[in-house]
Amino acid sequence: MTPDAPKYADRVVVVTGASRGLGRLLADYFLGQGAQVIGVSRGETDITHSGYEHHICDITDDRAVRDLFTAIARSHGRVDIVINNAAVLTSIHAMLMPAARAEEMVRTNLLGTLFVAREAAKVMRRRSYGRIIGIGSMASTLEPIGDSVYAATKSASMTMAGVLAREFAGYGITVNTVAVTALETDMLRQLPRDKVSAVVANLILPRFATPDDVFNVVDFLASARSSYITAQTVFLGGVHA
Amino acid sequence: MLTSDDVEAIILGALGALNAGRDPDDQIPASPKTALFGVDAALDSLGFVSLVTDVETSLNVDHGLDINLIDERAMSRPQSPYETVATLRDYIVELIQAGS
Repeated sequence: MTPDAPKYADRVVVVTGASRGLGRLLADYFLGQGAQVIGVSRGETDITHSGYEHHICDITDDRAVRDLFTAIARSHGRVDIVINNAAVLTSIHAMLMPAARAEEMVRTNLLGTLFVAREAAKVMRRRSYGRIIGIGSMASTLEPIGDSVYAATKSASMTMAGVLAREFAGYGITVNTVAVTALETDMLRQLPRDKVSAVVANLILPRFATPDDVFNVVDFLASARSSYITAQTVFLGGVHA
Repeated sequence: MLTSDDVEAIILGALGALNAGRDPDDQIPASPKTALFGVDAALDSLGFVSLVTDVETSLNVDHGLDINLIDERAMSRPQSPYETVATLRDYIVELIQAGS
């Protein structure tokens, strides 16, 4: 492969939460690298790239996720990479946390992530190859005020990724996580700027993350060469467990 | 519509695929009586997961069905549908006939 050749020319990549934020950035990145990208979100998209296919699906709906991956397997015959990105965030002091918002975070960030990984693995197993990459958060270790449930769901999803890595290892499927720091997205803009800036200022590398910081780690974890890398969480910005 | 024989062939085919990755002296017997689950199972837990996943995926992807082999309906039955190749076959036929 020449240095300028698309990295993912023959790959089918599923990105959840693809309509905006980091998911959108990743969908655009994979498209730019030649992948066939299947974006998933609860709403429509404005991505019109010829290599893009959009599916409206609520990942908390077990049946809908099953149907989604069956449809993908029938039409594409394979899934090489899954970016388990879809997540919701409500940042509010625990004493004020509405139950419905807390439940939504558990359903989306944890159970939805499981449903996607489970169904993706069934398709990946047929070719004995797959890369499942979760999007974690610095919140899981920095434990910022207001993020009680969000941080807990991200920690839980990283723990779950370790178990899934073990369960899927025999099928040639790796399961890893890239834990991002503050990145300019819709989700971040929900948070008070002064609060985010204070968290960033205390990072070992005290700056906001860029999309390329994320792409760099995703490329590493998604690489065919990374067959011996699984159950790992790579934190950006010097955050560590 | 898939017949009982068709379904049995899919299950036995999945067992055959598992056997292809096993040592010659560690082959799983492929017959309707082969125990899949329980104390007498010929499969270990990973083998059982692989078999059920392969059969379900084949039914849904290759045969255009909409079958979920692991759900509350199956897991709450007094007699497990996963006991043998034959019980799994019969359960799948039942799901197909019921339109799942």
